[in-house]
Amino acid sequence: MPTLGITGYSDRISARPGETVRFFVHSERGEAYRAHIVRLIHGDTDPNGPGYKEEEIDTAANGDYPGRPQPVHAGAYVFVPHDARFDLSSFTLTALVFPTTPAKGVQGILTKWSGPDETGYGLFIDEQGELALWIGRGAGSVERFASGKPLLRKVWYLIAASFDAASGHVRLFQEPVVTSTNAGHGMRLVHPIDDTTARLETDGSPRAPAANDCPVLMAAATRRARSGRTICGGHFAHVHAPLEIPEHEAKFNGRIERPAVANRVLDRAEIETVLRGPRPVAAELRPAVVAAWDFGANIVPHAASTRVLDDSLHHLHGHCINMPGRGMPGHNWTGDHMSFQAAPQEYAAIHFHDDAVDDARWDVDFELTVPAGLRSGVYAARLRLAGRETPDGEDYIPFVVRPPAGKPRAKIAVILPTASYMAYANENLSADAQVAQLLTGRVPLMQPGDLLLQEKDGYGYGTYSVHRDGWGVQVSSRLRPILNMRPKYTHVLSPSVWQLNADLHLTDWLEQLGFAFDVHTDEDLHREGVALLKQYRVALTCHHPEYCSEEMLDAYESYQQQGGRWLYLAANGFYWCTVFHPDNPALIEVRKGDNGTRAWTINPGEYCNAFDGKHGGLWRVRGRNMSKLTGVSFTSFGLTASSYYRRAPDSFRPECAWMFEGIGDDEPIGNFGLIGGGAAGLELDRYDLELGTPHHAFLLAHSEGHNDIFVTVSEESTFNARGYFAAGGTGDQNPFIRADIVYFKTPNDGAVFSASSMAWCGSLSHHDYDNTVSRLTANVIRGFLKDGPLP
Amino acid sequence: METKPERTALQDDYSYRAVDDYNTRTYLLPVLSDPERRSALIAEHRARPIYTAAQPGKPVPMDSPELARLLDRLRVVPQQGKHVIVETEPWREYRIGLLPGVRGTPVEVTEESYPSREDAEHAIFLKRLGALLEAYGIQDSSTGA
Repeated sequence: MPTLGITGYSDRISARPGETVRFFVHSERGEAYRAHIVRLIHGDTDPNGPGYKEEEIDTAANGDYPGRPQPVHAGAYVFVPHDARFDLSSFTLTALVFPTTPAKGVQGILTKWSGPDETGYGLFIDEQGELALWIGRGAGSVERFASGKPLLRKVWYLIAASFDAASGHVRLFQEPVVTSTNAGHGMRLVHPIDDTTARLETDGSPRAPAANDCPVLMAAATRRARSGRTICGGHFAHVHAPLEIPEHEAKFNGRIERPAVANRVLDRAEIETVLRGPRPVAAELRPAVVAAWDFGANIVPHAASTRVLDDSLHHLHGHCINMPGRGMPGHNWTGDHMSFQAAPQEYAAIHFHDDAVDDARWDVDFELTVPAGLRSGVYAARLRLAGRETPDGEDYIPFVVRPPAGKPRAKIAVILPTASYMAYANENLSADAQVAQLLTGRVPLMQPGDLLLQEKDGYGYGTYSVHRDGWGVQVSSRLRPILNMRPKYTHVLSPSVWQLNADLHLTDWLEQLGFAFDVHTDEDLHREGVALLKQYRVALTCHHPEYCSEEMLDAYESYQQQGGRWLYLAANGFYWCTVFHPDNPALIEVRKGDNGTRAWTINPGEYCNAFDGKHGGLWRVRGRNMSKLTGVSFTSFGLTASSYYRRAPDSFRPECAWMFEGIGDDEPIGNFGLIGGGAAGLELDRYDLELGTPHHAFLLAHSEGHNDIFVTVSEESTFNARGYFAAGGTGDQNPFIRADIVYFKTPNDGAVFSASSMAWCGSLSHHDYDNTVSRLTANVIRGFLKDGPLP
Repeated sequence: METKPERTALQDDYSYRAVDDYNTRTYLLPVLSDPERRSALIAEHRARPIYTAAQPGKPVPMDSPELARLLDRLRVVPQQGKHVIVETEPWREYRIGLLPGVRGTPVEVTEESYPSREDAEHAIFLKRLGALLEAYGIQDSSTGA
C-alpha cells in the first residue's frame, strides 16, 4: 500500500535544552514502530543535488514503541456538560440557523441525543434535508417528526420544535428569515417561499423522552458521552481542570444563533421573544427557559473565546470544540458594519464546520527532554514502522532546538517560518483544487502522506483549503499531523519542494559553508519580539515567510531600526495578517479578505479576525506592505520552471560592488538550481517606490525569461487587460513579472538584502556549493557579520 | 410528500459547459481532427512534458499556442476520476492514480507505472487527449480513442 501507515505531531514546535517535547503517534494498522531523534540537514531527495542528509542523535527517546491507531474527531460543535435540568418531559427547542450543507445527511442542530441507544431529544436536519424533531425512548423506540419541506443552503431560518409530554402534541416551525443582506452571498429572494416554509402540528406518544447523561451539543449529536479526551487550559483558558468531552456525530455545517431550551411548550410569540427579544430573556419567560445561549455576549474586543454564555438563570455555559468561527454575521446582519466590534448584536452567530480541528488530543507516545549541549537546528522524531524501509512506513515530526535562553551560540539567526507552515498545512490541493494544474503546468504528484490525508478527511485543513461548505479555512492548528511539513516531501505548489523541505536548502548551505547559526521559529519571535533578534548580528528569513503576526512585524521593524542586518532570502513574505490565538500559539487565524493572491475570498462582513478583532487580510491593506520591511513587493508567481538574474547598474556602485566579488559583470546569476532549475522562480517580488520601498535603495539585479505560466498578482488588478500592466499578461510579455534583488541601509549601520525569489535558496548547493548564488549570498553574510559601517 | 421538481438547466450549469463546448469545437477541434497536426502536438508534448528552466541566450521553453490551449483544456477536467501521479518509489517508480473527487475516499492507485514523473505526465496527457477525442468522435490510434 502506498498510503502512509504512521504519523504524528508534537506539543511544541521549538524547545531549548532541558525542555521537554511530547510526541503523539498514530499507527494506522496498530503496527509497532521505532522512533529516533534526528537532525535534519538536507531534505530534498533530488539526485541532482546533495541528496537527503540527516544526523542521528543519541537520546533517551530513541527506541521501539507499540503502535496504535489514534483517530482525529474533526468537526466543530458547542458542548454543554450534562445537567439534570436538561432531563425534560415537555420542552421547546429553538434557534436561528443558516445551513450551508442542508442536503449532506443527518446533522444535529441542538441535541441532547445519544446516537447508539437512541435516547433523549434533539433538533436535527434529517436525511431529506428537512428540519426534524427526534424523541428517543431507547433503541428502536424513536419518533421522528420532519417538517416536510427542505431547508435551502445559505438562508437564515427561525426554527423551533416543541413537545407536550402530557398530550404527545408536537409543533415544528421552519420559517425563512430573509433580508437584503443577511445571507451574505446567499439569496435575497426566496420565492416561492412555501417551498421551504413549514409549520407542523401533529401528535406523537404522550411519553417523555428517555433521560441520558449526554451533554447538550450544538452542531452535532453524541456518539459517546465520554471520549477519554479532555479540554483544559490553552485556548480553553476558562477551563481550570480537565473536562472530558464527548465523541460526536451528525456534524452540522452552517451557522447557529441564539439556541435555547425551554422546559415547556412555548407559543410562537414566546419563541420570538426568546430568539429576538431583549437579553437576558424577559422576566416572565425566565422560569420556562432552561438555557439560552448568547453567542454575541463575549465577542468584544475579540472573539477568540471558546466559552459561550447562557444568559438564563442557570448559567449553563458551553465550550466551543474544534474552534468554530465566532463573531460571524447573524440573521440580522445589515451590512452597515464590517466589524463585530462595531455591532456585536449583528454578529451573534457561530459558524460550524464538520471538518475543523483545533487539536487531535491524542495520547502521548513518548517524550524528549532536549539534552544540554545539543546544537540549535531543525530536528525531527523519525518514526519507522518495524521492519519497513519504504516511504509509506516512515514519517518525521519536525521541531526546532533553540540555544539556551540568553546564550546565543552564533552571530546568525535563522527564523523558521512556522506560521507559514501552519497556514499551508494539509492543503490537499492535489486532490481538491481544479485550478492547481493551471498554476503549476503539470499533473500533481501524490506521496504516501497525501494519500493518507485524502483518505482520512479528518486531519483538518489549512488556509489554502475550503471547508466542506465552501467557506475558507481560517484557523490552522499544529496540534495534529501536518503531512506536508516534512523532509523528503514534494509539494504540489512547486516543481520540487516548498516550505520546510525547501528551507533546509538554506540551513544545509550555511552548515556546508561553515556559518554558525541558531534557529528560532515564528512562534518564538512572536512571543519574544526584537529582544530575540537583537542577540544576533545577522538574521535570515527562509524562503517563504508569507504569514506574519503584528508582533513579528514589529520585531523586524525594530531590529532594522536598531542596526540589525537582515537577509530576506524569499519572496511574498509578510503578506497576510496572521493572528496567534491569545491563549494558545499552536493555533493561527488568517482571513483572506477580498483582495490579494488567495486561495479563497472572504464572505461579506467577515473581514475581522476573531483572534484579535482587527481587520484581517493583507498587511498591505493595513498600511504595512511588505516593501516597507524588505524593499520589495509581491509581483508575480508561476509555480513552474524558474529563471535567472542579470546584474543591474547599481551592483557596480562602490556601496554594492563588494557583494559581487567573484561574479562576472555579465555573468548570469542562478541559471541552475533544485527548484525549477533556476534561482528566480515560484513567487517573485519587485521594488516599488509607490509602495514603500526606501528612497535610497539599490537595485542589484533583476530576473528575466519567465515563462507563460507566470502571471501577475491579483491585489494590483484594477482593470484586467491583455498583456501589460499589473493585471494582465504572462511572463513572456509583462515586465512586471520579474524578481528584483534590492539592497538598502537602515539606521545604526543596519542593512537589508532582499533576494525576491522563493527559488533562491534552491540554487545554493549547485556545483558543490560553489556558484553565483552561493557566492553572492556568502559575500553579503560575511560583509554583514563584520563590525563597523558597511561600504 | 410532493415530488421534487426537475432540475433546471441553470441549476445544472448548462451554459458554462455549452460555451466550453463551443470553444473546444471552434479552436481545438480543427487542430485535433487533422491527423498531422494532432501528431505534431503529441510529439511536442512527448519531447517536453513539463516546462524546463530558462537559460541565457536561448528561447524560453514554452508550449506552442496550440498545445498550450489543449493543455489548459485538459488540465481542468473535473476532479472526479482525474489522473494524478502517485510516487511509489522516489525517483524510480511513479504510478497512475485516479482521484475520487470527494474527500475521505482513497485515491485509486493503478498498476500502471513509469520510471519518471515526465513519462507519467505524458502518459496522462495521452489518456486525457484520448478521452477528449473520444467525446468528440475522433478516432486516434496513438491515444486509443
